[in-house]
Amino acid sequence: MPQPLSTREANLFRTVIRHYEDKQYKRGLKAAEQILRKNPKHADTMSMKALILNAQGKTEEAFALAKEALTMDMKSHICWHVYGILYRTNKNFDEAIKAYKFALKLEPDSQQIQRDLAILQIQMRDYQGYVQSRVVMLKARPHLRQNWTALAIAYHLEGNLQQAESILTTYEKSVTAAPAKTDFENSEAVLYKNSIIAEQGDIERALEHLETDAKNSLDRLAVMELRAQYLAQLGRKEEAAKAYRALIERNSEHPGYYKSLTDVLGIREDDESALKAIYEDYAAKFPRCDAARRLPLDFLTGDDFRKAAKSYLTLMFDKGVPSTFANLKHLYTDESKKAALPAVAEEYLAEHKSAAGKEQANGDSSKGEGAALFFLAQHYNYYMSRDLSKATEFVDRAIELDSKNVDFQMTKARIYKHQGDLAKASVAMDHARSLDTRDRYINSKAAKYQLRNEENEKALATMGLFTRAETVGGPLADLLDMQCIWFLTEDGEAWQRRGNYGLALKRYHTIFNIFDIWQEDQFDFHSFSLRKGQIRAYIDMVRWEDKLREHPFYFRAALDAVKLYLTMHDKPQGSNGVNGTDGKSANGEDAAEKKKAAKKAKKEAQKAEREAAEKAAKQDPNKASQKGKEEDTKKKDDDPNGLKLAATADPLGDALKFLWPLLQFSPKNIEGQIAGFEVFIRRKKYLLALRCLLAAQAIDKEDARVKEQATRLKETVRPILGSMDPKVKEIIESSL
Amino acid sequence: MDIRLLKPSDIPLIQHANLENLPENYFLKYYLYHALSWPQLSYVAVDVSRPKKTPYDYPKIVGYVLAKMEEEPTDGVQHGHITSLSVMRTHRRLGIAEKLMRQSQLAMVETFGAHYVSLHVRVSNQAAIHLYRDTLGFKTEKTETKYYADGEDAYCMKLDLSSIREQVREAAAAENGEAEAKPEASADVDEGEAVGDVGRDPAKKKESERSGDKVKVKVGRGLGVGELVEKDESKH
Repeated sequence: MPQPLSTREANLFRTVIRHYEDKQYKRGLKAAEQILRKNPKHADTMSMKALILNAQGKTEEAFALAKEALTMDMKSHICWHVYGILYRTNKNFDEAIKAYKFALKLEPDSQQIQRDLAILQIQMRDYQGYVQSRVVMLKARPHLRQNWTALAIAYHLEGNLQQAESILTTYEKSVTAAPAKTDFENSEAVLYKNSIIAEQGDIERALEHLETDAKNSLDRLAVMELRAQYLAQLGRKEEAAKAYRALIERNSEHPGYYKSLTDVLGIREDDESALKAIYEDYAAKFPRCDAARRLPLDFLTGDDFRKAAKSYLTLMFDKGVPSTFANLKHLYTDESKKAALPAVAEEYLAEHKSAAGKEQANGDSSKGEGAALFFLAQHYNYYMSRDLSKATEFVDRAIELDSKNVDFQMTKARIYKHQGDLAKASVAMDHARSLDTRDRYINSKAAKYQLRNEENEKALATMGLFTRAETVGGPLADLLDMQCIWFLTEDGEAWQRRGNYGLALKRYHTIFNIFDIWQEDQFDFHSFSLRKGQIRAYIDMVRWEDKLREHPFYFRAALDAVKLYLTMHDKPQGSNGVNGTDGKSANGEDAAEKKKAAKKAKKEAQKAEREAAEKAAKQDPNKASQKGKEEDTKKKDDDPNGLKLAATADPLGDALKFLWPLLQFSPKNIEGQIAGFEVFIRRKKYLLALRCLLAAQAIDKEDARVKEQATRLKETVRPILGSMDPKVKEIIESSL
Repeated sequence: MDIRLLKPSDIPLIQHANLENLPENYFLKYYLYHALSWPQLSYVAVDVSRPKKTPYDYPKIVGYVLAKMEEEPTDGVQHGHITSLSVMRTHRRLGIAEKLMRQSQLAMVETFGAHYVSLHVRVSNQAAIHLYRDTLGFKTEKTETKYYADGEDAYCMKLDLSSIREQVREAAAAENGEAEAKPEASADVDEGEAVGDVGRDPAKKKESERSGDKVKVKVGRGLGVGELVEKDESKH
């Protein structure tokens, strides 16, 4: 039963809340304890105390107290709300939603609880729940435009486009005064509506809306692009061409505009001369434009290609553009172009030689001859045109011109790498680095090559030349804070090759956790974006977050982890001695005990790491000085070397955490399916193994590994088919 | 190479490019904050010629400009700010940085009515200073001593955008017919506090000073605006 407070204590209770909101936790606690001395069973105060403890990082204590408060007073919405907040801050969103719903039942008019619930619903992609919440919130405060927009967003994400549009329209109609042209929120809401109309497929109406309601939108580029696109879709070619020309005038380096322009002009893809004319016009018009000069190389053939290539390469070599090769190598799928480009470069070189002397007068080795040699070195180093001795020859000639040129030296290192000499490559890249110690790019490359050569310690020291010196914990801590995925991945892979499974797993788990952080990063934007009014960008973000883990950054680290766990399963002794004890203690009870202990240790280590990473991600620069004092609340990583991770008794089980997102988000990547098969067949999950196999076959049934897996699955299940569930048996038999 | 607007899905590789190139780094969330607050202002240069290895490849970012509007301008004048600009060493001399900057500047005026754009640059970063001052026309406003975490000074530079404002006005007038004189663009921008730590630059040293804490702690790298050469922070 709720305990009524005296006036004095009721006031005190209000100060508790205020202190909490102001992050004055110590004062808040003091005030709360003062109330509890007189009213030891005042549940709301207990809850507030729990909330403060939680903010101080005392999670377990906070939960215990919040639960106790709830048993005192099940009917307090404050207690339920606090309980929900505790779950929310500890990332258990499902439980948080339940608690908020209880709180809301007890206090249906609380806007704060309703808002907190709504944010969790959209975070968890409970669209129906979100629609309900936003309807309630709109009814409570219909005068706020963002409440209308939010409901439209809810319908939109739920897939109900018509309803979304109609909500936006209803609001528009309710406004009597015309919004100012500079009203940004309005401008964006109108464009948002336009995107919903177009998404319904009604391009005619979308264009009309764009040309009337959205005509004066403040996002000029969006209006121009959408208009051009709609006109093209509607077959209004002349106007579309004009619109695309206007876009090219605005940004002449966007290849998509040229493509659309030539499309709406009805120029066939093989009509080289007509296409060429278009690009030549723009090349003449924009002397500093790259796209108009480079893009014709994509479609020109024969002599025309050669001529264009000659003039383009000459321009690039004269300027000394280092990316020339990188910008042209996609042409190598065409054999004749692959042959023509180096020939043109050689020609340029020969012409330069005959006019020797004056070119080098400017002293810039990256221009002229140096640029052509550099191009040819890269050409022969590229996998589609590889001839490493020729590559070496050209790069050495370039280096002869200028031994201090970083790009030349970098290419030298890359050639060593392709020759398979990782040690030499590492030394060479570090030499290139030493030529420009102020450039982080070459520094990063040097570190990467050191990792490829399994020099983890050296690589970290190299990275340390650019990481922030003040970061507690040194370069690695800074790289973790800054979410430097590439380094963590390469470092993990190098440790794995060196047999240090602990550190390898540590890195992979860290990357996994960074993706968790990236997913949680969207949380604040559910309310922030409504206030900012940038709805289209928000929708883009939500849709991207939905497939966040399809990113190759995730895929690579996760696949590494799965493969490592497979190795650990197959050779349980481990090669680093970390989990060496596992082998001999095969007798039942002991093993079970160990398994339990390892599991517990692993769970704790993961939790600590996750929390540390979260803290790091959310570190607030404003609290710098405060943080110094409260640093002790930041949990220390109790498994910095991944020993507990490597001591796992169930590597296959641990692999699943990495594997499921691989299969869910990158199902069309054969490597994930192949790895999935290996995990499931070892776990004797034959249907799941079969599913991976079928998916892999659909991607590439000629892959030798896939064929081998098919045979292996058949042989594995044949002796046990009889004992299987008839349904399972039938599926397996019909598929194999 | 393709120059286009930044999309949220580009962000991991923008962060990657930043980490590879510059000493001033940020969490992913800080990029999101830019992308979701001023999506019109940030641009990327993309290497479109890379063959796709899987259906899940993301375009490789070879350069980017991360820009914002100053939320509470101390001088009360709407203006933009360049948070970070970088072009990969391998993709220099194509004018990418300049082209990125020009797209961003135009949008600052059109969408947010910016009067000028400001940025910080390391005093030792000759190549970047050349770009800003000689190519783009920035003027050095003042020197901020020890702006960067490693103790280096920054030039605070500014570019007046009135010529772009004039162009935009003329274009609008032409489009809407001369009769309709366009009012000065001065968009109302949300001035509300950012939620949580969304709105703060985790790498910005100034914040720690502004917060009024008694103990001054060097929190981070200054805003990284350095396109070409960056000072090696920890050598010597």
